[in-house]
Amino acid sequence: MTSVRTARRLTRLLAMLPWVIANPGNTVREVCERFGYTPRQLAADLNLVFVCGLPGYGPGDLMVAFIDDDEVVVEMAEYFSSAVRLSAPEALTLLAAGMAVLSAGQGPTALRSGVDKLQRLLLPDSEDALVVDLAEPDLVGELRRAAAEGTVLHIVYTALSSGATTRRDVEPWTVFSTMGNWYVAAHCRLAGAERVFRIDRIQDAEPTGETFDPPPEPPPPEVRYSPGVDDVEATIRLSPAAQWITEYYPVETVATENQSIVVRFSASNPLVIARLLLRLGDGATLVEGAEVAAAQRGLRERILARYDA
Amino acid sequence: MQNVIERILNLLAFLLTVHRPVSADEIRMTVAGYDQSSDEAFRRMFERDKDLLRQLGIPLELQATDGWEVEHGYVVPPDAYALDDPGLTDEERAALWLAAQVIRVGGQAAGSDALLKLGGAPAGGVVEPLAADLGAESDILGDVFLAVAERRWIGFDYKGSRRQVAPYGLVHRRGHWYAVGPERSDLAVVKAFRLDRAGDVRLSEQAGQFERPRDFRASDSIPQAPWEAGAEDLIADVVFDPDLAWWAKRQLSPRVEAKEDAAGALHAAIPVANVDAFLAWILGFDDRAEIIGPPDLRALFVGRVRAE
Repeated sequence: MTSVRTARRLTRLLAMLPWVIANPGNTVREVCERFGYTPRQLAADLNLVFVCGLPGYGPGDLMVAFIDDDEVVVEMAEYFSSAVRLSAPEALTLLAAGMAVLSAGQGPTALRSGVDKLQRLLLPDSEDALVVDLAEPDLVGELRRAAAEGTVLHIVYTALSSGATTRRDVEPWTVFSTMGNWYVAAHCRLAGAERVFRIDRIQDAEPTGETFDPPPEPPPPEVRYSPGVDDVEATIRLSPAAQWITEYYPVETVATENQSIVVRFSASNPLVIARLLLRLGDGATLVEGAEVAAAQRGLRERILARYDA
Repeated sequence: MQNVIERILNLLAFLLTVHRPVSADEIRMTVAGYDQSSDEAFRRMFERDKDLLRQLGIPLELQATDGWEVEHGYVVPPDAYALDDPGLTDEERAALWLAAQVIRVGGQAAGSDALLKLGGAPAGGVVEPLAADLGAESDILGDVFLAVAERRWIGFDYKGSRRQVAPYGLVHRRGHWYAVGPERSDLAVVKAFRLDRAGDVRLSEQAGQFERPRDFRASDSIPQAPWEAGAEDLIADVVFDPDLAWWAKRQLSPRVEAKEDAAGALHAAIPVANVDAFLAWILGFDDRAEIIGPPDLRALFVGRVRAE
């Protein structure tokens, strides 16, 4: 862990020096805000710079770094007048973050020009080699506004697991995207608790005319699955071709057999697992789980009846 | 930590000013902080410091110190060390900083170190209530991005075989990252490879290994829906029951022909390029969607549902 902290500190130090060298007349406060320093941390870093420099390490070889009145001064350090180039992951993540926000129709105009400049620097021979598309389904904008303004919404929601459609009043807290889907975390007045709704499953949302006070610290935006008392469980054997599901569903691997793995899967509705089993075909075998087996049978019968098969 | 930082600053100052390859021995004799250690302690310390430099993105290269290539020494080429300044304004830095606050890549905050290097983020600005995780491991993404930027071949394991691909582009869409480009075996066909399914990704040593076609647009090469990606080519006639017609409509691309009948059921002619992905999607409608044709597709679906 020490090396991660050392690397962070060096990254910041090697970024601060060039900026200070290029910006005489700066203030301590400005340097601190820009690079996320406390005044104490800044002084500690400057003190380190002060004792370093070129071989010989005499007065003419060491760098000069101090705070003069309220200005940060660094001299005799021309070799640190350039920041370190961006590593590929650093460059990509920053550019991708900017593009993602733009593709969602967000961000000020300066973001567009900033992303363009980075793109010309990092991908000079191609305008369209990197694409980040966070396309938003309908309603995302409306839900985000409601979260920002504290507007209570009446929604018509079709649950993914059961297919059942319900109407409920919700207090939207945060809107977020993960694994390619958009979600809203909200206090649900029907359930009397926090719920996460997949936005493409919300058929309609209307303001009720009421407002609410958002929680001071809304929970982090993520799709959480907390097992409930009414959950069904199933044990499933997965061949290599079907093992990708472990990244998408809350499963627990309980055994490994040759190439196959055995997982335990719990869900609030057996249909979720039944549908997945049909989808995986030969790739998955139900080892244990009577309710899931029954749900799978029901699903089969319903579909085959519709197809007169 | 203080000692390490001093030693690294001294080492870097030396390497950036010496303008010739220097051996580990010379570094030990010359740079403050290494002088008092035993052979073994020096070796370990120097290895750790080299790792740290690489972690910081500092290019440390080994070059021959003489024409006969008998001895080698370390160099930090100033050109490769220094950031090319894109000339961001403070407003642009602030906007990028805000974007980096709300977007995560594989759970990691995106881009704050990069922004420091680009001149830090001036204070101000409010984070918008948008939050998104772009998934995937940033290490692999970084490698592929480098390959796209420098036009290097990438090799990786994919669906049971080793592929050599010229990565024309890198795309994030519908929650997945794709490398887009042709395989070496057939340069005429541009394909999309999902990176979360690619194993053991390696880059070619040489840069500038292929030309990106002038009219290439990465955004056109990734389909909007999962069943639009693939080699198959057929049109599926599907009817969706009235109560789920809205959900079907939302997921179909605008160019799909779809009509609602008087009862509210949706009849759609859907181009399908990936049959597996399409059948999986239809299964999500339970018994409230029906594949009317073509007969082979209908039979295939029924066969899947019936199979024990």
